Amino acid sequence: MAKEIWVFSEKPALLAELIANALQLAKADGASVAAVVVGNQQVIDQAFAQGAQKVYALGEKAADVLLDDFIPTIISLTKSKTPALIIIGATRQGKAVAGRLSAALDASTITDAKYFNQDSGGIEVTHLIFGGGAIRIEKANTATVVMTQGSSIVDALPPNASAKGEVESVPFVQPAWKATLVERKQKPPASVNLAVAKKIVCVGRGIAKKEDLSMAFDLAGILEGEVAATRPLTEGLDWLPRERYIGVSGATVKPDLYLSMGVSGQAQHTVGITDSRVIVAIDKDKEAPIFPQADYCIVGDLYQVVPALITALKARK
Amino acid sequence: MNIIVCYKLIPDSEDMVIKPDGSISLDQAEQVISEYDLLAVEAGLQLVEKNGGKLMALSVGTDKLLNSKSKKDILSRGPDELYLVTDASLANADTSQTAKTLVAAIKKMGDCDLVLFGEGSGDLYFQQVGLQVGELLGLPTFNAISKIDVADGKLTVERSLEDEIDVYSISLPAALAVTTDINVPRLPSMKEILKASKKPVVEWSLQDLTITGDGKPRVDVLAVRAPKSADRKRIKIEGSPEDVAQTLIGYLSKEGVL
Amino acid sequence: MDDKFDVIIVGAGLAGSAAALKLAQAGLEVVLVERGPYPGSKNLSGGVLYGRILNDLVPNYWEEAPIERYITNERVVFMTEQASFNIDFKNQAFKEAPYNAISVLRGKFDRWLGEKAEEAGAMLVPGIKVDEVIVENGRAVGIMAGDEEMRSDVVILADGTNSFLAEQLGLRKKFEHSHMAVGVKELIGLPRETIEDRFNLTGDSGVAYGIVGYATQGVAGGGFLYTNKETISIGLVMHLDELIETGKKPSEMMEEFLANSLIEPLIRGGKMLEYGAHMVPEGGLAMTPQLVMDGLLIAGDAAGLSINNGFVVRGMDLALSTGISAAEAVLAAKKKEDFSAAGLGIYRQLIDDSFVMKDMKTYAGAPSFMKTERLYEAYPEMLVNLMTKIYTHNGQPKEHMVPIAMKSLKESGISLFQVAGDGLKGARSL
Ligand SMILES: Cc1cc2nc3c(=O)[nH]c(=O)nc-3n(C[C@H](O)[C@H](O)[C@H](O)COP(=O)(O)OP(=O)(O)OC[C@H]3O[C@@H](n4cnc5c(N)ncnc54)[C@H](O)[C@@H]3O)c2cc1C
Ligand SMILES: Cc1cc2nc3c(=O)[nH]c(=O)nc-3n(C[C@H](O)[C@H](O)[C@H](O)COP(=O)(O)OP(=O)(O)OC[C@H]3O[C@@H](n4cnc5c(N)ncnc54)[C@H](O)[C@@H]3O)c2cc1C
Ligand SMILES: Nc1ncnc2c1ncn2[C@@H]1O[C@H](COP(=O)(O)O)[C@@H](O)[C@H]1O
Repeated sequence: MAKEIWVFSEKPALLAELIANALQLAKADGASVAAVVVGNQQVIDQAFAQGAQKVYALGEKAADVLLDDFIPTIISLTKSKTPALIIIGATRQGKAVAGRLSAALDASTITDAKYFNQDSGGIEVTHLIFGGGAIRIEKANTATVVMTQGSSIVDALPPNASAKGEVESVPFVQPAWKATLVERKQKPPASVNLAVAKKIVCVGRGIAKKEDLSMAFDLAGILEGEVAATRPLTEGLDWLPRERYIGVSGATVKPDLYLSMGVSGQAQHTVGITDSRVIVAIDKDKEAPIFPQADYCIVGDLYQVVPALITALKARK
Repeated sequence: MNIIVCYKLIPDSEDMVIKPDGSISLDQAEQVISEYDLLAVEAGLQLVEKNGGKLMALSVGTDKLLNSKSKKDILSRGPDELYLVTDASLANADTSQTAKTLVAAIKKMGDCDLVLFGEGSGDLYFQQVGLQVGELLGLPTFNAISKIDVADGKLTVERSLEDEIDVYSISLPAALAVTTDINVPRLPSMKEILKASKKPVVEWSLQDLTITGDGKPRVDVLAVRAPKSADRKRIKIEGSPEDVAQTLIGYLSKEGVL
Repeated sequence: MDDKFDVIIVGAGLAGSAAALKLAQAGLEVVLVERGPYPGSKNLSGGVLYGRILNDLVPNYWEEAPIERYITNERVVFMTEQASFNIDFKNQAFKEAPYNAISVLRGKFDRWLGEKAEEAGAMLVPGIKVDEVIVENGRAVGIMAGDEEMRSDVVILADGTNSFLAEQLGLRKKFEHSHMAVGVKELIGLPRETIEDRFNLTGDSGVAYGIVGYATQGVAGGGFLYTNKETISIGLVMHLDELIETGKKPSEMMEEFLANSLIEPLIRGGKMLEYGAHMVPEGGLAMTPQLVMDGLLIAGDAAGLSINNGFVVRGMDLALSTGISAAEAVLAAKKKEDFSAAGLGIYRQLIDDSFVMKDMKTYAGAPSFMKTERLYEAYPEMLVNLMTKIYTHNGQPKEHMVPIAMKSLKESGISLFQVAGDGLKGARSL
């Protein structure tokens, strides 16, 4: 049987990116790309439209059933087909699938894999450690390699609605245990998608009070950009929602302009901004680690510099 | 209820030395308890305080674990007992090796109702070990748990996923990895620090555990190095706030980002 | 567990750990409370320890202590903006144990001493800041940290220069600026071979520089540079009141000092690993607080015991010595089960009899001598002018030494009378 690379994600947008990456990797050694799908015909069609050559259809999931209940089915399928590689979307749910699957396969998962490279045969990937303070290059050496990949690592291909392929239905394997879903609270839909923002004003703990965030919103308003933050402002202080923080555990951004105010520039944060085109930093500490990582460095009190900047930008319009 | 909480001892990244060739050294680094695992310890402590039972801390790694300061450190945070498995071969253990060792230790530790894990280890942050251990033990296993309650021999947990918060009812025993916002760990008190040095510590070698398998890593580490910092212009803008604003606007228009 | 201990010691610096070690060795139940995550984590010193006293506490300490280098070469440097004049002192005897002086890094050294105390049975409680000494009927009976209290027969305050606990108890007045100096220090990393080449060192020998003159740009005080194994400790100690007058920040003074053409080559290529600033009590005897009250003793910097004579900053050895004396006083009090001020009263006597007070008295005039402005500007100028004349060969016949010296003196604007006066004052205080 020809070598297969599999992809799995419960998030359609991420699944599209995984397929794009898998196709790239498959090219090198003539493998084919199959998507493991939990969902209806529409989800299956979408997988084909994004480039999957085959779909393993696990069936639809009733609203009160957990995706986790499908893990035994994925395990048994993987064991019987031994794909060379399975790339799973790096959501929390995806990491649960990856962890339990790799334990069952006697493998290890490489999570949040980046920069896939297969020049040396096998797949080498990089994985950030110490919150972005260092990079590890890793290579899995098991029959089936399990990896998770986050969003914005590879761009999805333009969909081709007429693409079709083989669908293999997979019988459901009853799990040994089940959790009962008692309640499901939808989080309010994300108000921003930092990953696509062209301009970002990022606030850090240099902001003294929650009310002062208005300054950042004013500036972002004039620049027609989004407000982002460091983690302490979202987790801990709760001044802003989670989806607004940048860094290893938050969003990765690539705007044309990233402007920080009162952000010290710890690696855990700045790994998320390295792909920004222009970086401006405002901080009152001239030794702040953000400065060597910035294009324009303003040592000063943000409470003076930012209002002046807002006034000057307004005057310009 | 008896709870086992798994924690990892990691090198303090502040002590990381970046060598001229870009490789890094952590030889001199202070060993600290991975920050995320402190939340798992606190979660376990709160459950034991409410429901009675015993909290046991478990870690596997090299003999750095045996250092008296780090033993005292973890015990001062609340666990009643400490279990340590050490072997030189665990220095660069991958998630699979770590999980298998933990499983063998947990089996040897006897009855337990709940195994807790941090969100991810502060150094490698694979967010995998807890899930692998749970699967290998055949227990109900979940990550991203932001709230835990126990009643009538069942767990009610909140799981915080990207777009939704689920509430599950789960039977015991179970394995759970907690989120970074499940609680705010309390600081050790003087009395707990003094008590810590008197609590029981059980030390095992790999030979003391019956581990099946080849003991080989599933992931090879080819290199570890500092990230390349992008070349930035690092242009300093000085002057009064007004001048600074004008100069910056000048640069940004030239860059075409205004 | 007992709710009451024999002794609670606040601060695991050298004074606190020395006291804890000694008391634990004698079998007392000792709790050593330290606010940092481990002893030494927050402590700052230039780093030369005049170590004979350490040998009393831990015999043959050099076999186990984390020592950087043995100081075999002491240099005093008088410097102007462009030139310098060295007094270079080497003593072969300094190469032999028990060493006269060693360079240490507090992060490692204090930790080691804290561990020694723990091994002896003292209970170290790190990560806890003591907020208050509990006083009942005029007697110290324990400590408060947050909302926790802990009781003991005796409390030893070894919490360093800024001892707000001693201040809280009214045992000492808030230090005046004129009694304080501010110390700034950087630790600079360099390869071992580079350090040994640059400073002409062999094996584990080391050099200590005391730098007077332009280093502090006229502010009373001095600079220091000590070699460690793979690092250099370098810094400035400056009188606070004068520093305030100049309007300069310590960090700016430090930057200029490091960039000075005499200093820069010594640290060239090095990597700054640590930076810190700390107060140093400098009032000498004049600021020593009341050292004893019912149920309480004060040791080390908390007691204001340190010496700065411009060339040498000393406090670590005094901290060790007073820590030992405090322990001895507690042991004497324990024998009589009398922990009142009278029962602990022998402490003062032990200190008076030790080298600590003797040295403090010897240097009693040092703080005011150091403030002689001439020391920082005129004398270095004069010495440097003199040397410049002697060593400048410009084809003219050489004058005799004495006239050259007199001429330099005249140019420096100092009167002979002043020289004589300062000489006397200095001789008495140094
Ligand atoms: C495992 C791990 C993962 C993490 N993941 C993330 C992550 O994904 N994202 C993230 O952001 N963080 C993350 N962190 C936290 C991270 O290490 C830092 O603590 C955080 O990024 C610092 O946020 P900050 O810059 O806002 O605050 P600080 O570091 O406190 O910096 C505040 C800055 O404001 C300046 N300032 C103060 N007042 C003013 C003023 N008036 N004008 C101008 N400047 C002023 C100060 O000089 C300082 O530089 C993580 C940490 C760990 C351990
Ligand atoms: C720049 C500089 C250079 C110096 N160079 C030298 C030198 O070369 N040689 C020399 O001999 N001396 C030198 N000294 C002086 C020397 O550092 C001090 O005299 C010495 O550290 C005093 O020791 P100590 O134990 O009394 O206090 P410290 O070393 O200050 O220790 C006090 C301890 O108490 C802890 N503490 C404080 N408050 C509390 C609290 N409330 N609760 C719990 N713990 C608390 C602190 O964390 C600390 O660990 C220098 C000082 C400076 C500032
Ligand atoms: N060596 C170890 N010993 C004990 N527990 C560990 C160890 N490594 C990881 N863990 C636990 O597993 C969690 C996830 O680790 P990781 O998969 O490395 O991100 C951690 O938060 C710990 O609770």
